Amino acid sequence: MARYAMILDTRRCIGCHSCTVACKVHNDLPLEMIYNPVTTIGPTGVFPNVHMMNLPLLCMHCGNPPCVDACPTGASQQSPEGIVFIEEKKCISCKACIMACPYGARVPNHEKGTVQKCDFCKERVHVGKLPYCVQTCHQKARIFGDMEDETSEVYKLVNSSHPVRLLGELGTEPYAFYICESEVKL
Amino acid sequence: MDQKHDVWGWLLAVDIFLAGMGGGMLVIIGILDLFIGTGRTSLLGNLLAPVFIGIGASILILELGRPFQALRVFMNPKATLTIGAWFMSFAITFGFVYASFGIDMFFWSGWVFARKIFAVLCMVCGLVVASYPGVLLGRHKGRPFWNGPGMIILFLLSSLVTGVAAHILSGFVLPPSTLTDVLGTFPKLAAGLLTFQLLLWFGYILVKRSGGTSAEAIASQRWIKGDLSSIFQIGFLLLGTLLPLVLTLSSSQSTQAIGAALVLLGGIIMRILVIRGGEDRTWLPGEQKYRSRLPKGDETFLRAWNK
Repeated sequence: MARYAMILDTRRCIGCHSCTVACKVHNDLPLEMIYNPVTTIGPTGVFPNVHMMNLPLLCMHCGNPPCVDACPTGASQQSPEGIVFIEEKKCISCKACIMACPYGARVPNHEKGTVQKCDFCKERVHVGKLPYCVQTCHQKARIFGDMEDETSEVYKLVNSSHPVRLLGELGTEPYAFYICESEVKL
Repeated sequence: MDQKHDVWGWLLAVDIFLAGMGGGMLVIIGILDLFIGTGRTSLLGNLLAPVFIGIGASILILELGRPFQALRVFMNPKATLTIGAWFMSFAITFGFVYASFGIDMFFWSGWVFARKIFAVLCMVCGLVVASYPGVLLGRHKGRPFWNGPGMIILFLLSSLVTGVAAHILSGFVLPPSTLTDVLGTFPKLAAGLLTFQLLLWFGYILVKRSGGTSAEAIASQRWIKGDLSSIFQIGFLLLGTLLPLVLTLSSSQSTQAIGAALVLLGGIIMRILVIRGGEDRTWLPGEQKYRSRLPKGDETFLRAWNK
């Protein structure tokens, strides 16, 4: 069984926000909704040792997702491939999942009265395509693949590049891995 | 767009205040019936307990994006909200049934054993309803002010003290059927609980500030010198805890009633503050700066865009 994960190589990310825009277009998001922001850290340091980093954020599709257990209606679910998604017809927008998610990955849709989130473009993934943000990233900073497939690029990078997981101390087991410059601490 | 993301609002605070107060009332009802005897609390209080829980649950429905599908909240047994919803339903049912034993027109009003059973059920359900908000909030790993078991104790204690206060007030309106000094001891009980509440809150803030993570320290600073500090210190600690502690020790019933009312005021203030205190997540690197730059929704270009 596949276990999908995403590598985010901050060494390549230039903060162009094309992934954010592509996601909004693909998912037809209202203006105020953003699934995958890109934040900027820095610039820090003193010239000439100045550093800046762009950090793409998204749903971490945790191995131990607190949002799924928090959902009282069962709308928040996790597929066998590890993709965390919301079954829209069951969602009543009680915001329990928004409060439970430590990564801020869930956003309310006030027009529909539901909560929405990144689902790795699972419709595309299920037909063999890449998530739209990955396809759009022209710097190849986003790498998507199957963690159970030893031939996949994701598997190789996770096991060779010592990637970082955000808020790993919370025990959520995020499946978004960040590759950073060696001197950077997240 | 809200810079802090959408979070729970004051409606939830009202819900957990009313539900907690009702739950606290049920706990007291059950304890008194089992260990002292029937009729020690006012029939009005016995009826109001499930009413408060019901009103609280109804208010929560207004918080939903799809209020007409509110029944879906009962579906996931793993969710704290689902457990809370079921126990509130049980508490409402058992509370009304127990209250009916105090109405002589019902033929079952003399069934002592049945009443005792429902007293136990009320006590158990009331305890869960009184403490489940603390469980709900304490489980949020990414909310530094809420995270941990301390919230359970704070909410349970507040529910009990507001429950006692509600019983005091209802006893003034409609005295208990059995005239003993039990209800007369409630002001002293309230004073004791308020003292304990005061100590617990100081301890909680202290631990958050100095014993936890840096995120917890930052979150607790809002209560000491930040945007929540004045309401917390004046509204809750002074008006909602210290002042009623003094007033409930008075021998004058009217003064005790004022003290009890202030306890209720403190209870609602506390819950509003706690809900607001949980707005802050453990922010991801650069996230606060990013979100601070997002439009709030009322900008000129957005209004033009949305036309």
